[in-house]
Amino acid sequence: MSEIIRLQGVSKTYDTGKIQVQALKPLDLLVEQGEYVAIMGSSGSGKSTLMNILGCLDRPTEGQYFLAGEDVSKKNDNELSLIRNQKIGFVFQSFNLIPRTSALKNVELPMVYAKVPARKREARARELLEKVGLGQRTDHMPNEISGGQKQRVAIARALANQPPIIFADEPTGNLDSKSSVEIMEIFTKLNREEGNTVVLVTHEPDIAEFADRILTFKDGCVVSDRRKNASAGCGEVEKPC
Amino acid sequence: MLIIENIRLALSAIGINKMRSFLTMLGIIIGISSVIAITAIGSSIQGVVNKQFESVGKGAVILYVNWSMIDGYVPSEASFTMDDLEKFRREFKDELRYADPYVTEVSTVRVGDIEKKMYVYGRDVGYDRMMNMNIIYGRMLNEAEVAGARPRIVLDAPSAVALFGTENAVGGTVELTLEGETKDYTVVGVYKEEETIFTQMNTSENVTGIVPYTLMPMQADNTLYFYTFVDDTLNISEVGTQMANWLVRLKGMPEGYYIYEAAAEQQGAMNEVLSMLSIAIGIIAGISLLVGGIGIMNIMLVSVTERTREIGIRKSLGARTGDILFQFLIESMIVSAMGGLLGTGLGMLIAALGMGAVGVEFSMNPMVVVVAVGFSAIIGMFFGIYPARRAAKMDPIEALRYE
Ligand SMILES: Nc1ncnc2c1ncn2[C@@H]1O[C@H](COP(=O)(O)OP(=O)(O)OP(=O)(O)O)[C@@H](O)[C@H]1O
Ligand SMILES: [Mg+2]
Repeated sequence: MSEIIRLQGVSKTYDTGKIQVQALKPLDLLVEQGEYVAIMGSSGSGKSTLMNILGCLDRPTEGQYFLAGEDVSKKNDNELSLIRNQKIGFVFQSFNLIPRTSALKNVELPMVYAKVPARKREARARELLEKVGLGQRTDHMPNEISGGQKQRVAIARALANQPPIIFADEPTGNLDSKSSVEIMEIFTKLNREEGNTVVLVTHEPDIAEFADRILTFKDGCVVSDRRKNASAGCGEVEKPC
Repeated sequence: MLIIENIRLALSAIGINKMRSFLTMLGIIIGISSVIAITAIGSSIQGVVNKQFESVGKGAVILYVNWSMIDGYVPSEASFTMDDLEKFRREFKDELRYADPYVTEVSTVRVGDIEKKMYVYGRDVGYDRMMNMNIIYGRMLNEAEVAGARPRIVLDAPSAVALFGTENAVGGTVELTLEGETKDYTVVGVYKEEETIFTQMNTSENVTGIVPYTLMPMQADNTLYFYTFVDDTLNISEVGTQMANWLVRLKGMPEGYYIYEAAAEQQGAMNEVLSMLSIAIGIIAGISLLVGGIGIMNIMLVSVTERTREIGIRKSLGARTGDILFQFLIESMIVSAMGGLLGTGLGMLIAALGMGAVGVEFSMNPMVVVVAVGFSAIIGMFFGIYPARRAAKMDPIEALRYE
């Protein structure tokens, strides 16, 4: 296995004018290709802050972030757009589908920006929606489908350009337990069968149990890094903050 | 590829907010429609004016006594005789193509039981060529008839119908009294005037005829006018001045006693008035286009703010700065171009209705539509730049967090 994510001393400080909040304390992290990682922790502990940096939506205040060997912290806005488009699939808690735009068109969007020809784009979008079990809902608008279905569309969209990594910030946060399990099964399948690296944030321990590795956050620090497959040799590592 | 996608996006964004889009376009619609209406009306009027001046004849110049120099009455030595006309013709034989003493009389004409008032004009040979007259039957007066003062007449077509019941009145006889002398005049020709707004307005019962000017010798020997045509390749103003000055010397009158009036000069003045009117309206239209453009900028700013989250989503999916910029630029261009198209339609409708009301043929260059729509798109682009840049420069994570 080769490394796909390496953080070196990455920290994030929000400057709100009056006060400065260090949401993420200097962090080193290594994720290998094909890993299935869940991030847990109490509210405000810095999970989303980390995910946004990992997803190249935000930049670290300090430190270096290597994504597939490239130093992302040095990239300009358009280069980051290209990385988000090609390397990363991001799934949000609030789905973030474009309103008044059909499921199909939503899924096509990353391919539009990748300049995939229209016909190929549509074929691939249909195929992806089929894959997440929404073959019958391609022409529905986001306000015409359920939360679980919206999240499936969002996952299909995240997969459009076949990115190696999937980031998901509380993907089941707005879903009931049944839909949550269905969504998690999709992630598990992607990880197991397609070899995608999956990093997701969750509050629920039973959702985290789908993953192979669980990072626990507290006050901007990773306080525990546990691998379920103890035979790999690591087991649980407790870290002082 | 992205262009088609962006056009589709823009159309759906416009379609979602139909009323707002329409109100946004309103400034452009008003601006463009007023430009279109004015240019269409202006060019139609210009067409009519030019046609009207053409009906007066190219190179027409009238020489006459300067009334502002006259106090009370015109002294008899100031008026021109037929002898003066001959001298004048000889002097300006290179410049002149035609000259007559501008004699005319309203008299009674009879054909059998029919009796009408007739405007009789005394003309020389060649008048028809100067005026591009359309002789439909017979011929114009000839040299022998003018020189010999023979009682011949050329009628216009409606008069022929009024007097003879047919346009082909050639060979017919009318009884006419000119300068107190009643004679039978033989019809040698009938001409047809092209219909213009003025001929349509002329619904009077009176008839019109042309006779040799030599049949009105009293007038011709004591006239205050020369009706002439000058070679239209020459400088009309220069020739007119020369002729007027020459007449002053011939008659031994004070400087500036005779003046000239040239149709070409009046036409130029008329066109100048029209183009000044166009400029004035153009300025008004320009202001309303400016206001329209600012309206577009305003609504685009609102739209960008409303769609902040959408912009964040697009960026998170890989949209670059340029992609977002392009999306919003295309949208403002399309809004504006649609406004331009609607404005063109409205302007043409106004012009067509206006022209229809006064019975003038409506003429417009179809390229105007292309130019108007293109120009509107440019306005949209110009005023869309600021909102589009604002959208494009948004930080993805802040845009996604926007509530
Ligand atoms: N844009 C911001 N400006 C200022 N402070 C921020 C901003 N975003 C996050 N923070 C602060 O950073 C800290 C970490 O926030 P973060 O969103 O990463 O938490 P989280 O672990 O995702 O919480 P939750 O489980 O509730 O989503 C919090 O104290 C929060 O108030
Ligand atoms: Mg969070």
